Amino acid sequence: MSVPSILEWIQSTDVSVAIREGGLPYPIIGGVHLLTIALFGGMLLATDLRLLGWAIQRRPVSDVLSQLQPWKRLGFAVVVATGLLLAWAEPVRLYRSPSFWVKMAFFALVGVHALVFRAGVYRHPERLDAGITRHAKLAAALSLLLWAGLIVSGRLIAFDASFDE
Amino acid sequence: MPADFFRWLVNSPWTHAMNSHEWVFPAVQSLHFIGFALSIGTIAIVDLRLLGFGMRRQKPAELAADLEPWTRAGIAVMLITGPLMFSTDAVAYHYNPSFQFKMVCLMLALLFHFTIHRRAVRAGAPPIAAKLAGGMSLLLWTGVVAGGRMIAFI
Repeated sequence: MSVPSILEWIQSTDVSVAIREGGLPYPIIGGVHLLTIALFGGMLLATDLRLLGWAIQRRPVSDVLSQLQPWKRLGFAVVVATGLLLAWAEPVRLYRSPSFWVKMAFFALVGVHALVFRAGVYRHPERLDAGITRHAKLAAALSLLLWAGLIVSGRLIAFDASFDE
Repeated sequence: MPADFFRWLVNSPWTHAMNSHEWVFPAVQSLHFIGFALSIGTIAIVDLRLLGFGMRRQKPAELAADLEPWTRAGIAVMLITGPLMFSTDAVAYHYNPSFQFKMVCLMLALLFHFTIHRRAVRAGAPPIAAKLAGGMSLLLWTGVVAGGRMIAFI
């Protein structure tokens, strides 16, 4: 099966048609996607800012990270799920949108970031209570950059030529 | 009055700057997103704590004090980038029902944040008041974001 035929098939599924042409579902899913960025993006920021030593400094790193982690995971799950639904609704336009591929590249880098830093930083935050390593600060700074890149490239998708009606 | 104001706004230097290149608007909008993630996200951490979720090892007052500078920085970014976007198409935004809804929610949310919410996070606030304030704050900010998203659709 070729890529265009797969995209056409996705676009023809009931779910895709319902989200794209159903009126309310698309803005609602988009709204939840955005709300999740607002509500849980702040938790990711708080985590990274703590690692950089810029916020919530009265509390040990491990205390802050462990309390925010379940919320960050929940937010990540919701933002990915709603993002997948939005992509499922418009695969052909997204395939032709350069910003979408930039966003996917950032998304892949988020995976690389997790592979590189999870073991050394996020899995054992109690080791950072005595002092935040440069390794951990680098992880936080890169996380902020990746996150900003995802937001900017995500927002730019709507302005790409393939999205002109 | 609005007509004169809009005419002045459309001819202002910052509106020309916003329209000067096609990448400026999405760039400002991206900053707007980062600003509200920072402000609403940090407010949500405090709200969840007021409701009894999330960072329960800290007192609400301590959390609010630690996060407030970042909340304010986020609000500042939002309140600079928002009007810049508004100025590019002021008349359309003015008559857009989603935008009107968003502005009402925003005014209430900001007013609430700097008055009742601020008192509810203090030590000694009755638990029921703290919960109501946390829920109300989440609701108002949700209205701001949802209204903002709907501008493009209604």
